[in-house]
Amino acid sequence: MNTNSNAYTVIYTTLVVVVVAAVLAFTAMKLKPAQSANAKAETLRQMMSAAQVKPTDELYATKNADILQLYADNIDRAFTVGLDGAENGTLSTEKARIELVDNLKPQNKAIKAGGEVTLPVYIFKSGITVVPVYGAGLWGPVWGYIAFQPDGKTIAGAYFDHESETPGLGAKIKDEAWFRESLIGETPDFSSENVFEIVKGGAPKDAEGHSLIDNQIDAITGATMTSKGLDAAIDTWLGAYAKYFGEGSCCEGEGEHDCENCEHHKAEEE
Amino acid sequence: MDKKLKETILNPILKGNPITVLILGICSSLAVTVQLKGALVMALSVIIVTGLSSLVCSLLRNSIPNRVRIIVQLVVVAMMVILVDQILKAGEGTYAIDKQLSVYIGLIITNCIVMGRIEAFALGNKPIPSLLDGLANGVGYGMILIIVAFFRELLGSGTLFGLRVLPAGYIPNNLVILPPFALILLGCIIWAHRAFDKDLQEK
Repeated sequence: MNTNSNAYTVIYTTLVVVVVAAVLAFTAMKLKPAQSANAKAETLRQMMSAAQVKPTDELYATKNADILQLYADNIDRAFTVGLDGAENGTLSTEKARIELVDNLKPQNKAIKAGGEVTLPVYIFKSGITVVPVYGAGLWGPVWGYIAFQPDGKTIAGAYFDHESETPGLGAKIKDEAWFRESLIGETPDFSSENVFEIVKGGAPKDAEGHSLIDNQIDAITGATMTSKGLDAAIDTWLGAYAKYFGEGSCCEGEGEHDCENCEHHKAEEE
Repeated sequence: MDKKLKETILNPILKGNPITVLILGICSSLAVTVQLKGALVMALSVIIVTGLSSLVCSLLRNSIPNRVRIIVQLVVVAMMVILVDQILKAGEGTYAIDKQLSVYIGLIITNCIVMGRIEAFALGNKPIPSLLDGLANGVGYGMILIIVAFFRELLGSGTLFGLRVLPAGYIPNNLVILPPFALILLGCIIWAHRAFDKDLQEK
């Protein structure tokens, strides 16, 4: 047979591509459940690392099934809020059907467009609240989880991750513990445009190395674009949560006495 | 074992090593050798991809239209790489490593060793020798990867497979973690290889 004729070539390549596509589609379908289970456990690890449920290393050494159990044991409630800070949906926290908003991209677009959003809020039994952030790094998306103390103002912990930042440079937002730990104790300024700043060249510090400005941390050397991208991501997302934290939180926890002055609380009572 | 088959297996590991002699696959050997675990997974992935791609292309060798043979090879290699990537993503233990290797698993497609062996060997030989040739080239590549990763993890982090080997007082050498050091190390390995095997030296 003449394997160089046009007809043969067209039929042959078509066949090869169809067979390969079928094999890949079949494997993708078969492996999908296992892959999503891994992805979900990964998200839970990152959230619980931010919420200081356990040290990050320990969480990464824990099996998927135990991670689900750990989350179910530690989570108090999870729900979604809109840009006005009001609750507009609930997320199941039961072990068998844990719901997460882990596809943050559409929400990110909606925040920027100022449209309808369902931003997730995860409140742990320790009183710590975890919210996600998402944005563009240098090569691909960067995202993370920021945990707040029960006062809704002070950062209790954070975890950042990325899709394809440069190893050894931008990838440090995930790899270097000092970076995520430098957020602990900082207080974002929800009333400002720059809710939180990652400062290139270093945030101002006193002689002992303590940060002088409450919402600034050091950027990473050699990773200007990643630092800027993460800064913008935190500003956008914490900005979107400003109403939730700024006005809603005074009614929670020990601050009951402030409730009369709280706009959000009044609105709810009426 | 007959002599020719033995040659097929041993040549890519020693005299015709893809990295130290043919200088192929340098990019990924700089990128994924910071830690042994990542290097080991990368090495196994490449071994599987080169072996199976060579086998499949050898089975198809008499039917592939000559004009589109590179495209057909590429489709086969790409399929193998995506399969490996998907399987790594699905395994509970390998998910984190797949994330760490990120784009480099996908970039096995562009590794010259894979296409090079199909073009040079699999298209002209029977399936079994082709499979062995592919596997052996993968092993030759992986071997160097693991040697480089061994030194980089030991000197760069003081650990091996994540376990602390050097005393806690050891200050990790940051240069070792950066890619340029892998190139220096690779140069040293090539030097040692050529000093050891006189046949590789130019007259």
